[in-house]
Amino acid sequence: MIATRSLVSVVDDDPSVRESLPDLLHELGFAARAFVSAEEFLASDCVEHTGCLILDIAMPGGMSGPDLQHELTLRRRQIPIIFITANGDHTIRPRLLAQGAAACLFKPFSDTALLEAINAALGTS
Amino acid sequence: MGETERLKRCINDLISVLALPAIWTGGAPTHVLSTLLEALRGMLGLDLVYARMNGRRGEAPIEVVRVAGADTFTVQAHEIGVMLDKRLGADPRNWPPVTRNVIDGTEMSIVAMPLGLQGEIGALMAGSERADFPRETERLVLGVAANQAAIGLREARLLSDQKRLATELDQRVARRTAELTAANQGLRKEVAERRRAEDELKRAEEAIRASEHNLQLIINTIPALAWSARLDGSAEFFNQHYLDYVGLSAEQAQDWGWATAVHPDDRDGLIATWQAIIASGSPGEGEARLRRSDGEYRWFLFRANPLRDEQGHIVKWYGIKTDIEALRQSELNLRQMTETIAHMTRVMTMGELTAAIAHEINQPLSGIITNASTSLRMLAGDPPNVDGALETARRTIRDANRVSDVITRLRELYTKKEAAAESVDLNEATREVMALSLSVMQKDGVIPRTELAADLPRVTGDRVQLQQVVLNLVRNAVDAMSAVEGRPRELLIRTGRDEGDRVLLTVRDTGVGFQREHAGRLFDPFYTTKTSGMGIGLSVSRSIIESHHGRLWAALNDGPGATFSFSIPCEPVGARVESLVSSA
Repeated sequence: MIATRSLVSVVDDDPSVRESLPDLLHELGFAARAFVSAEEFLASDCVEHTGCLILDIAMPGGMSGPDLQHELTLRRRQIPIIFITANGDHTIRPRLLAQGAAACLFKPFSDTALLEAINAALGTS
Repeated sequence: MGETERLKRCINDLISVLALPAIWTGGAPTHVLSTLLEALRGMLGLDLVYARMNGRRGEAPIEVVRVAGADTFTVQAHEIGVMLDKRLGADPRNWPPVTRNVIDGTEMSIVAMPLGLQGEIGALMAGSERADFPRETERLVLGVAANQAAIGLREARLLSDQKRLATELDQRVARRTAELTAANQGLRKEVAERRRAEDELKRAEEAIRASEHNLQLIINTIPALAWSARLDGSAEFFNQHYLDYVGLSAEQAQDWGWATAVHPDDRDGLIATWQAIIASGSPGEGEARLRRSDGEYRWFLFRANPLRDEQGHIVKWYGIKTDIEALRQSELNLRQMTETIAHMTRVMTMGELTAAIAHEINQPLSGIITNASTSLRMLAGDPPNVDGALETARRTIRDANRVSDVITRLRELYTKKEAAAESVDLNEATREVMALSLSVMQKDGVIPRTELAADLPRVTGDRVQLQQVVLNLVRNAVDAMSAVEGRPRELLIRTGRDEGDRVLLTVRDTGVGFQREHAGRLFDPFYTTKTSGMGIGLSVSRSIIESHHGRLWAALNDGPGATFSFSIPCEPVGARVESLVSSA
C-alpha cells in the first residue's frame, strides 16, 4: 500500500490528454491534477506538492514546456519533468534530456512507457 | 431886416446846422442829404437846393434836390448834377463863388460848394432868384453846412462801409464756415474711407500672409519631398522636408545638386528618365534610391507634372518624391514568399507535408491509447470498475472518430475540385523533381538515372500535385535504400506511353522492398514500414492519381528493391485548344 500517493501534475493544452491522463494516473496509483497552461500551473498550489510533472512541449499562445522548466529552475523548484509531444520530430529528445528532463515521450505512448518514466522520475520502481 | 437882426438869425442858423449831425447819427447818406437840404431851404429861403454824394468804385452817385414849389420846378436831381458839371467844370476848387444860371426857365443865383476839401465826397448847390444872394451870412451858413455835410456823409459812408464790411465779413465768415464744415466733412469722410481702405488692405495682407503661411505649412508638412524645376530640368525649389531628408541646404540642392543624393547606380537612369519626361512635356515618373541625411538609401517614386500658361507653353515643372521603401520591401517579401511557397510545395514530401497534420492526428491517437489502457486496467481491478471502463472505452471510440475525420480532411485536400486542370509535360515536371532531390540523393549515395520518352504526350492535371506524387515516390525509394549495404543504391525514373492513350511513370529502386503479403496494404493510411514517417504519403499519392483518373501500384523487382508506377490518361487531341477557348 502507498501511504501518501505522489502527486503527478499534467500540463497540456489538448483537452483529450487532460481528460484521459489523470484517470490513467489514478489507475497507476498516483494522485493527479491537470492544467491547461503553464501559467495556470504556476498560479496553483500544486507547484509545491507536485512530485512529477508531465509537460506538453508546444502550447501555442503561452509559455511552452521548456519555458516552464526554465521558470521552475529560476524559482529553485526542482520537479522531475516528463515531456510529452505530438510532434513527430525525434531529434528534440536528446536535447531535452540534456537539459535535465527525466524523460521524453512521443504521443501516442503506452501506459507501461508512462509508468516506467514516472517511476524513473520519482526514483521509485 | 436890420443888420443886427440878420446876424442874430445867422447865428441861429449856424447853431441849427451845427446841431444837424446829432440827428444824422446812424443815418444813411440819403437821410443826411434830405435833412440837410430841408434845413437849408427853410433857413435861407432858397428856391432850389441840391446835394450829391459821389459814388465809389463805379457806384451811382446819390443825388437829392429840394425846390421851393413843386409847380415852378420839375427839374430832376440828376439833371441838375449834369448841368453843374457842365457849367462849372469837374474840379470844384475852380468853381466861381456865385453864378447866374437859368434853371427850368428861371434865372437865379447859384452857389456851388464842394463836399470835402477836394470835392471828393460830393457837391452842394443852392439857388435863389434873389439878386443879392448870397449874402455874407448865407455864404457862411452854406459853408458850415457843406462842411457839416461832408463830415456827416463821411461818417455815414464809414458806417455804411462798416455795416457792409461787417455784413461781408459775416457772409465771408459764414461762407468760410460752410466751406470749412464741408471741407471738414469731406476730410472726415476721406479719413474714414482711408481708414477703411487701410483696414481692408491690412485684412487682405493678413489673409495673404495667412494663406502664404498655410501654403508654406502645407508644402513643408506634406509627407513627400516636393520640388519645382525650370524648363531645362534644373531644380529651383525644394520643400523643407526634402532638404531635411537629404541633409542638403537649398543652395547645395539647387540646379543639379540634388542628384548627389541619388544612389550612384540609379543616378544616370533617373536623370535620363527626367530628361525624357521633359522632352515629352507630359507628366511622368521614375524610381530611384535617395540617400537620407543619415546615409541610408531608400527607394523613392519620382513624379513630375508640367505647369502650363494660357497658351499651353510649359513654364515650370512641379514634382514630388514619395518614399516607397516599405512598398518595395513588401513587394520583395511577397515575391520571396511566393517563391518559397512554390518551392516548398514542390520539394516537400508527403511525410513533410503531413508533419504539420501529424500533431493533430497524434493527439487523438494518444487519447485512444491512454483511454484504452485505463479501460483495461479498470476492468482488471478487483473489483472491476465497470462504469469507469465503459466511460473510457466510449472516449476511445470518440477519439478514433476524430482521427478518422482528420484523415478524411487530408484526403479531401487532394481530391477536391480545386486541383488545377492544366496541360502538363510529365518529363519536364519529373526533371524538376529530380533536380530538387539531387542533394538528398547525393547525401545518401544514391545514383539517379532517368529514361524519359522523347515523344511523351502531355497530360491534363495539376502539375504541383503530380510533382508531389513523383517526389514522394523518389523519397520513398531513397529511404528504402538508406539501409542498403553491399550493392549500389540505384534509382531509375522512366516515362513512356502506356496502352490505351495513357502515360506511364515508374520509379525503381534497389532498396529493401516490402513483404509480398503487405502489398495490398501499402497504400492504406498510417501503414508504414519506416521507423519514421506517418504512412500517409502513399495513401495521399494514390488519391491524387485517382483524381487524375489514373492508377498507382507497387511491384517487387526480380532483383532487389521495388518499383512504384502510375499510369494516367494522356491529353486528348485538341484538348489544349478547347481548354484555351473555354478559358478565354
